[in-house]
Amino acid sequence: MSAHAVAAPRAARPAAGRGAMTFRGVLAAEWTKVTSLRAPYWAAAATAVACGLLTYVSANASSVDPGFDPLDSLTSGVLLAQVGPLVLGVLVGTGEFATGTFRTTFATVPRRLPVLAAQVVVTAAFAVVAALLAVIAAVAGILPAASGRGIAVDLTADGTPQVLVGTALYLVGLALCGLAAGALLRRTVPALVGILVLVLVLPVGLSLATDGGTGPAAPAGAVPADPASTLVTFTPSGAASFLTAPPGGGGVAGAPDLGPWGAAAVLAAWALVPLVAAAVRLRRRDLV
Amino acid sequence: MIEVEALVKRYGSTTAVDGLTFTARPGTVTGFLGPDGAGKSTTMRMIVGLERPTAGTATVDGRRYAELDAPLHSVGVMLDARSVHPGRTAFRHLLAQARTHGIPRSRVDEVIAMTGLEPVAHRRAGTYSLGMGQRLGIAGALLGDPGTLILDEPVNGLDPDGVLWVRRLVRDLAAEGRTVLLSSHLMHELALCADRVVIIGRGRLLADAPVHEIVERSGGTLEEAYLQLTAGAVQYRGRATTSPTTTTAGDAR
Repeated sequence: MSAHAVAAPRAARPAAGRGAMTFRGVLAAEWTKVTSLRAPYWAAAATAVACGLLTYVSANASSVDPGFDPLDSLTSGVLLAQVGPLVLGVLVGTGEFATGTFRTTFATVPRRLPVLAAQVVVTAAFAVVAALLAVIAAVAGILPAASGRGIAVDLTADGTPQVLVGTALYLVGLALCGLAAGALLRRTVPALVGILVLVLVLPVGLSLATDGGTGPAAPAGAVPADPASTLVTFTPSGAASFLTAPPGGGGVAGAPDLGPWGAAAVLAAWALVPLVAAAVRLRRRDLV
Repeated sequence: MIEVEALVKRYGSTTAVDGLTFTARPGTVTGFLGPDGAGKSTTMRMIVGLERPTAGTATVDGRRYAELDAPLHSVGVMLDARSVHPGRTAFRHLLAQARTHGIPRSRVDEVIAMTGLEPVAHRRAGTYSLGMGQRLGIAGALLGDPGTLILDEPVNGLDPDGVLWVRRLVRDLAAEGRTVLLSSHLMHELALCADRVVIIGRGRLLADAPVHEIVERSGGTLEEAYLQLTAGAVQYRGRATTSPTTTTAGDAR
C-alpha cells in the first residue's frame, strides 16, 4: 500500500474494511459460494427424495413377507441416496476450475490451501443437512408399510440409532470423497464418472465375479477368504455396509469384518488420500 | 508499486517470459503492450502469484504477492472476464470475494454502483454480455480499495460509454496516487489514458518509456511507434483473404 493512496484526495470515498484475510473469512466466502448456486440444493433434495422413495418401494414390496420387519428396509434407499452427496462434493471440488472462478479465488487467497480446507468444512456442513433429510425420508418411507401390517416402529431399539447415525455419516463421507476427487481431477465429468464407478459400479462388478466363482450363497463363516470380496469391503460402499447395519452386522461373506470404526477409517482414507494429493497439486503447481 | 525483475517463465522448451524487468510506479498509469503471445498475461499471472516464475522476482510494494496479509486491499486484479461461475450472481460473487477479507456488504453495493452493474447484479453471471463481465471484473478489482490495480484488457467488449468510463476511472485512480498496470491492444485508447508504456515481444522488453517520448521518437502516432517496435516480434500474423495474385484453395489451407 503506497503512502499516496492512503492520502487519497477523495475524502468522500468511504473507506472499505481494512481487515486482513482470515480463515474465518475464507470459510464465510466458501459458504456464500456454495449456497449461491442451485446445484447443491438440487443435490440435497435429490438425496432425500431418492432415499425416501426407494425405501418406501422396498418396504412395500417386503411387507408381504410373513416375517416382515420394517426396520430391515430402513437403509434400502441408500443405494440411490449415494449419488446426491457424490455430485455435491464433485461440484464443489471442480467448480473453481471448470469455470475459471479459480483466478478470482486464488488471486484473493494466494496461500490457496485455506480455500481447500474451507471447502471441506462447507461441503461437510451442507452434506450433514442433506444426510439428515435423507435419514428422515427413509424413516418416513417405512411407515406406510409398517402401519399397513400393524407393526409399531421403534427407532430406539436394537441398534437402530447406530444405523441412522451410520447412514448419515456415510452420506457425509461420500460428499467429502466427491470433493476430494473433484479437487484432484478439476474436471467435472472425469471426477463424477470416476467416483460413481468406484462407489456404485465396482462393488457390483466384483460381487458378480465372486458369485460366478463360488456358486449359490453359502452361510457366512463357512466361506473362505476371497480376494474379490475383500476388495469390495475396502470400497467406500463396501465399507459402508458396516456403518449402515446394526452392530455386528454388515460386510460381505469371505471378507474381513472391519467393524464400524474400521469402516469409518476406510471411508476417511478414500476422502483423505485424494484430498492430500489435491492439496499438494494446488500448492505446488501453476494455476493457468 | 509493481517491480518486475529479470522475470523468466518457461513451459518445457517454450520460453514465455524471457528476462523481463520493469517497474510500474504509484500515481502512474502504465500501459502494458505486446503482440498476442508476447507474455503479457503470463507476466500478470506471475505478479499475482497464480504462476511461479522460473527465475526472477515480481513484487508489489516490495513483497511477493503470496506474502501479502490482505491481497484485496493491496492489489486489485482483473485478469479475465470469465473468472466467474456462470451460475452465481454478480452480487454473490463479489460478496464471497469480500468476505475473505471481512469487507462489509455495503462496499459490495458500492462497487456494483460504481461499475453500473445495479440492474443486473442479481442475475446469474452466465447471462452477462462480455462488457458486463468486464464491469464485474473491474468491480472485483476495486472491492478492497487497493493501492495497486492490475487490469488485463479492461476495455475489451465494453461499449463506447464504458470505454470512456474506464479511461476516466484509471486516470482518477492514478491521480489518487495509485499504481495502475493495464494491458490493452487499443493504441488509441492507451495514448489517451497511459502515462508510460512497457512494450514486450516474445517475452522480452522492447521499450519502457513515457508515451510522449515514444511517440516523439517515432514521429507518428503511438500505434505507428508500436508497430515499428514489435515488427520483429509478432508471432501470429493473419493474411488478407482477397489477394490480388492467384490464390488457390490449396494455399488457403
